[in-house]
Amino acid sequence: MKPDNPLVTGLALVAGLIFLSPALYSIWMSFQAADAFYAGKLKFTLDNYALAIGQYHFARYLLNSIIVSGLVTVIGITLSTMAAYAFARYEFPGGNFLFGAVIATLMIPSHISLIPNYLTLAKVDLLDTYAGLILPAISNGFAAFFLRQYIRGIPRALDEAAYMDGARPWQVLWRVIVPIAKPAILSMGLYVFITEWNNYIWPLVAVGKEDLYTLQIGLARLYRLNPGEGGIDWPLVMAASTITILPVLIGFVLIERHLVRGITMGAVK
Amino acid sequence: MSSIVLQDIRKSYKSGPEVLHGVSMDIEPGEFIVIVGPSGCGKSTLLRLIAGLEHCSSGTISIDGKTANDLPPQDRDIAMIFQNYALYPHMTVRENIAFGLELRGMRKAERNARAESVAETLQLTPYLDRKPGALSGGQRQRVAMGRAMARNASTFLMDEPLSNLDNALRVAMRTEIKELHRQLGATMIYVTHDQTEALSLADRIAVMKDGHLLQFARPETIYDRPQNRFVASFLGMPAMNFAPAGKLPGLEAAGDAMVGLRPEILSVQEQRPNGPAVNARLLFSEMTGSDTILHCDTPAGRMTVTATRRAIPEGKKELWIGYDAKDALFFAADSGARIEPSLQD
Ligand SMILES: Nc1ncnc2c1ncn2[C@@H]1O[C@H](COP(=O)(O)OP(=O)(O)OP(=O)(O)O)[C@@H](O)[C@H]1O
Ligand SMILES: [Mg+2]
Repeated sequence: MKPDNPLVTGLALVAGLIFLSPALYSIWMSFQAADAFYAGKLKFTLDNYALAIGQYHFARYLLNSIIVSGLVTVIGITLSTMAAYAFARYEFPGGNFLFGAVIATLMIPSHISLIPNYLTLAKVDLLDTYAGLILPAISNGFAAFFLRQYIRGIPRALDEAAYMDGARPWQVLWRVIVPIAKPAILSMGLYVFITEWNNYIWPLVAVGKEDLYTLQIGLARLYRLNPGEGGIDWPLVMAASTITILPVLIGFVLIERHLVRGITMGAVK
Repeated sequence: MSSIVLQDIRKSYKSGPEVLHGVSMDIEPGEFIVIVGPSGCGKSTLLRLIAGLEHCSSGTISIDGKTANDLPPQDRDIAMIFQNYALYPHMTVRENIAFGLELRGMRKAERNARAESVAETLQLTPYLDRKPGALSGGQRQRVAMGRAMARNASTFLMDEPLSNLDNALRVAMRTEIKELHRQLGATMIYVTHDQTEALSLADRIAVMKDGHLLQFARPETIYDRPQNRFVASFLGMPAMNFAPAGKLPGLEAAGDAMVGLRPEILSVQEQRPNGPAVNARLLFSEMTGSDTILHCDTPAGRMTVTATRRAIPEGKKELWIGYDAKDALFFAADSGARIEPSLQD
């Protein structure tokens, strides 16, 4: 690797700060006491967090978001990986047609399926449940497509070596393909998680009980409740926002180092 | 150990012409078979068919007397060394070697001990905790070998397992393979481009060309009584000399046949010998150690002769090459098939 050019490093730092500034500013504001803030003074406090968690149930929303996004990611990625493996490695009648159908689902805007999904879930009585929040999101054509492309890049000789070693197809998948595709699977998982974390419309229509609110619904409701004397209590909203973005940031930092490079190096001549 | 019987195996890949044109082989349990042949003649394809990684287009494969055409590879009890190694890149050397044992339910301590002893044999101990990406080509090849050796399979398929090793290591590994064969008594099918390996390891050698099995016989038979000119020229270092019978004194009676003379049965002399001989002009010589290979021009064409280094004095160019008519092989000029013409007429 070339030694870092200080100019490039400096520019990257400045660019990074510019991108981060809104987040940094809102985190900073979330620690300000509202009255002092509006008076133009500085007074650090944790009251906004206490308020968001205590009076506005953000701990509960956080838990809901983690449950829903977590399960959508784990179940969705598991299913997508299995579908991707099948599409990448097996030839079966109608396989190409089926894969075409998967691609086709990518071209349907999600809002179009909103009402059919709602009616379906109403019929099976799953509105206002975790299942109702999770089920519509777990089939993910994009993830299946993306992972299939990645798996096709893994030399088939590795599958064959595993078969010779005595592996069954599912062992080939879990012991050979998945570990090698880990960077792709984690990237996809992060993407799915963030997408679901930020999902607003579906939880809004599928859930009416406050117990099942996700962070995004809770955050939106903070505006409507209009708690401050003179309008929106911004430091409170920023505390709630920080609660919303922090888990994603932490998650990203934790898996970031796995995302970068692939590991098929040295497998075949 | 398994018996493997191939009957009239044909194979065409999905996109492309037929690459095996009816190969039949009858392999005894515990036999060591070496397959040789030029690049692209179908050796790897044949191994993949036996392994169950490809389906043959027609013909039958039987393992231990049972038709195995549709038996999946996991159920054939075959260990394979791939020509391109196919190591698991996410596993350490130890895990690569032990993976097959793990799949068979061997306990961790036991399989690691096994992997370590195999690594010891293959001189891989210092690399047990490395991943394949951090190994040299020869080290990777030995891991590929270790993965097969750790298993107690009834058949081993080895696709050029020693091609990337240095000479000393290759000789050592050849001995290990022979030892493995002796210990396990497993059936082995081994592909190589190396003559010494072929002749020294094989119980029987299969010579292939362009998807055909030309000859399948014991090494001595292949060497002494090759079925045709291709087999004769393919095995033996340096390659057999060919010359028209009409130009070789003492062999004219063979008519228009081609005569094959191995370099080591020829003798170089300074004076015309008593028996049949051709005069020769030395073009250049190659030292191979104790021997030297003489490249000569003769009235019958170019000839190579293996001789001891002191056989001819330095600087001498005009020589005689003598031979014994009973050592000569004869091949039909048109088909290349070996013939045995009568020389007494
Ligand atoms: N997957 C494939 N699809 C189409 N043709 C193939 C495929 N694999 C091999 N072939 C063709 O089949 C023929 C035999 O190939 P094979 O790999 O068996 O040769 P080989 O004898 O092992 O050669 P080498 O000594 O170079 O390894 C070649 O002509 C090759 O191009
Ligand atoms: Mg090959």
